[in-house]
Amino acid sequence: MDKELHYDVVVVGGGNGGLSAATYLAKNHKKVLLLEKHNLPGGCATSFRRGRFEFEATLHEMCQMGEGETAGQVRRLLDDYGLNVKWVPVDEAFCSISLEPNKSFYVTMPVGVTAFVDAMEKAVPGCRASVETFLEFGRMFADGVEWLASYNNEPGGLAKMKMLFKWKDLMKLVPVDTDTMLRKIGMPDMAREIIESYWDYIGTPSDSMSFAVYSFMTYNYVYRKPYICHDRSHEISLAFDAAIRKYGGEIWYCTTVKSLDVRDNRCYGVTLDDGTYISADYVICNIHPDTAFKKMMDPKEVPVRDRKAMNARTMAQPCLTIYFGLDKTAKELGIKGYDTFLRTTGNNRKQFDSSNSLKTHKENCFTILNEAIPDCSPKGTCLLQFSKFYTSDVMKDVTPENYFKVKDRLVKEALDQFEEVMKVNIRDHIEEIVVATPVTWARYIGSPYGNVYGYIPHTWDGMFPRVQSGHKLDHTIKRLRFCGGAGTQMDGYSQTYLSGREQARYALMDMKRGE
Amino acid sequence: MAKYNYDKKYLKGLGVGPFLKQVKVRNQHIEAASDELKPFDYVSNKLVEQLHPEYQLTKVSKVIEREGAKSFVLTSLENKPLAYFRAGQYVVLDIKVGDIIVSRPFSISSSPKETLGNNSNYMITIKDNKDGFSSKEVNKNWHVGQEVKISGPQGEFYYQGLRDAKHVVGVAGGSGITPFIAMAEAIADGTEDFNLTIIYGAKNRDALLFKEELDKLAKQSKKIKVVYVLEDKDGFITSQIIKKYVEGDFSLFVCGPRGLYYAMDKVASELKLTRRRFRKEVFGEYGDPTNDKDYPKEFKDKTFKLTVIMRDKRYELTCHSNETLLNAMEKGGVHAPSRCRSGECGWCHSLLVSGKIYTPKEVDGRRIADSTFNWIHPCASYPLSDIVLEVPYNK
Repeated sequence: MDKELHYDVVVVGGGNGGLSAATYLAKNHKKVLLLEKHNLPGGCATSFRRGRFEFEATLHEMCQMGEGETAGQVRRLLDDYGLNVKWVPVDEAFCSISLEPNKSFYVTMPVGVTAFVDAMEKAVPGCRASVETFLEFGRMFADGVEWLASYNNEPGGLAKMKMLFKWKDLMKLVPVDTDTMLRKIGMPDMAREIIESYWDYIGTPSDSMSFAVYSFMTYNYVYRKPYICHDRSHEISLAFDAAIRKYGGEIWYCTTVKSLDVRDNRCYGVTLDDGTYISADYVICNIHPDTAFKKMMDPKEVPVRDRKAMNARTMAQPCLTIYFGLDKTAKELGIKGYDTFLRTTGNNRKQFDSSNSLKTHKENCFTILNEAIPDCSPKGTCLLQFSKFYTSDVMKDVTPENYFKVKDRLVKEALDQFEEVMKVNIRDHIEEIVVATPVTWARYIGSPYGNVYGYIPHTWDGMFPRVQSGHKLDHTIKRLRFCGGAGTQMDGYSQTYLSGREQARYALMDMKRGE
Repeated sequence: MAKYNYDKKYLKGLGVGPFLKQVKVRNQHIEAASDELKPFDYVSNKLVEQLHPEYQLTKVSKVIEREGAKSFVLTSLENKPLAYFRAGQYVVLDIKVGDIIVSRPFSISSSPKETLGNNSNYMITIKDNKDGFSSKEVNKNWHVGQEVKISGPQGEFYYQGLRDAKHVVGVAGGSGITPFIAMAEAIADGTEDFNLTIIYGAKNRDALLFKEELDKLAKQSKKIKVVYVLEDKDGFITSQIIKKYVEGDFSLFVCGPRGLYYAMDKVASELKLTRRRFRKEVFGEYGDPTNDKDYPKEFKDKTFKLTVIMRDKRYELTCHSNETLLNAMEKGGVHAPSRCRSGECGWCHSLLVSGKIYTPKEVDGRRIADSTFNWIHPCASYPLSDIVLEVPYNK
């Protein structure tokens, strides 16, 4: 018989959160084993090849990056991990299109506070003061979040008092929703709809999105610029892999964890699907809690709080992503803009509500990677991606037999709309096409119906209350913690990297205290 | 704190109370919910199991003898149908030869419709190949009842309506006819809707596989046309021959031995086909690369040490410079994951811990960052030194 396998920490799942947690713990001299069911690290942070193209799977932009003196906390974290990545700033905040009759717009928003304000004023004359106010709030939130980060989001004792004096305004504006506050500062409706374009990448409409969080994020993009990496996000994921090994950690790919060994409210290790048992002092899961609690644990051991939390919270969006390798440049095709939100209405509550079925969903976010990285595809070609986010298990009428037909139909509908709106011809230039439906995402990341954002961050379940509950309250099983898109920091690359560090740090503290 | 330039009037009526009560409110929301542990039964996740099983346990339920080849009808040993697929896709078979297991990709040569209903099955056709030790093993020893572990359907060689021309010219050589049989069957039974002209090259009439089936399919559907090009009578497949059967826009699909791909490269350029109109199925093993123009000749005919790390195990093997690391592992009894064996699919993606390798350009399907961080595809990598390789686990 083999010797018993034991590690200080087993990290289940090598998505962004798991990679970050494993790196943090290995760097802090823990004997770490990362288990990933796929043959690659990164989860959503990956790329794939077709013909002469390498497609980016999911990375649109990273927040809180910047560099040098303006480096935000995510950039500092990744630098601290020693990742060897060629970061690329994007010189565009976003583009936004609304097709709503009489209220339509098509704007390209630049980075840089002054340029952004000027472009907004040009698009919606008279909005200048409100946009300046919005971004000033954002600057205050950005400073406040950095201040909180310096206390690891848990200011205690004197700092707690200090927070009441110093960051009172931030505290006042966290529970207020974005819609309400933008109206309050007198932002004209069209300007508000433009500013709120970004909601789709966060997962909740702006009438239930914390104003502080939304303004913080927008300011970060405008001031620090959105960042991506040069060689697709596979580069970041492999850099993490290399860092974990450098710090002495181990990684097993194509290794599926079948169950978590939880007994009497404490986790002792994991069992792999081939029966191998690995004991661990601590287990960190970069798995959607629904998957872990419903599929990987003795039902008796699932704590009441987690059962209730799963029922109280709302599952976030699954997505349909369509990747085109085109045999002409973007310029030749007449398409432009790095990241564009294409909407049938400027009202994002309406967008959200119509996203619950394949039939009614009409919104699209399209990305032309060459606009940020000109040489990302061979000369004379470009990469175009569509991302569409749904709000339910939308494949409900789909069977194995009609799956491919449904897939083709969805692509055709999206392409028809795109070509009509942009007045371009794409279909005669498709050299490669890849379609990832919610089924594809469910296959690769194992989340409930391919949901990529964890839980919807309603005002009551937003980033701040989650962070405040993330150390103790939501830690229900000893020696087991969760990180990733369903974690405290919400979804997205930057947030999941932070989430991995946060939970790994708490795990270290738990172990030190013998808890 | 007048550091920030916003008007305090916007904060009027707002206090810190709601912030301080946030956690309490969240707790109330959670507390009010039911404590039922609901099942994990989402449609999309169920479709994953149906469409993309990691592997499928099957048995041979019928063997069809052909001239120089055998077809095997595989049916499921599990209590569920075989995964539905796109006509043109392949599955990987685990073949036991003596003590070792090798994985080989084979196109499914039956319609996707065959997976529906009670008699869910795939047909796989394997040519007798006196050099291929796995096909020899299968065609000699597999009989009805033989259990076979296979992968889920895989591959990108299928008709895509938005990308491809409505008329597909399928050029096949040898057993490369198999994906086109599936496509033709799928057109005939209504699963697919496009026009397919199969141009099938073979040494002579006796070397044609599926001739009877092809003739029947061509009779059954107006959308299917079959042209045989026999070396001993008509010579090779040329652009002149293809031109005879096309009018206007068409896509050229090719599946067959490597020589056919080189010939079709020439044909495609003669016909001025754009890249998107020219698609090649992966052709399996690249073979001996030591005569390639850019191969560093000093490594020819050398044998190197190959250390393989899989999870917590280490294996000491050897690898000859003319064989892939994947082959050497299989021969040495290490069954690492692999699928296409052509450098394309990335299934065998492994970390080159130390050593140098040669990868022929045309089968280098690695991602850009793979080169930066020393990740390789062992199915398309040949050793130029002693190698230490960390491979993913295979169940």
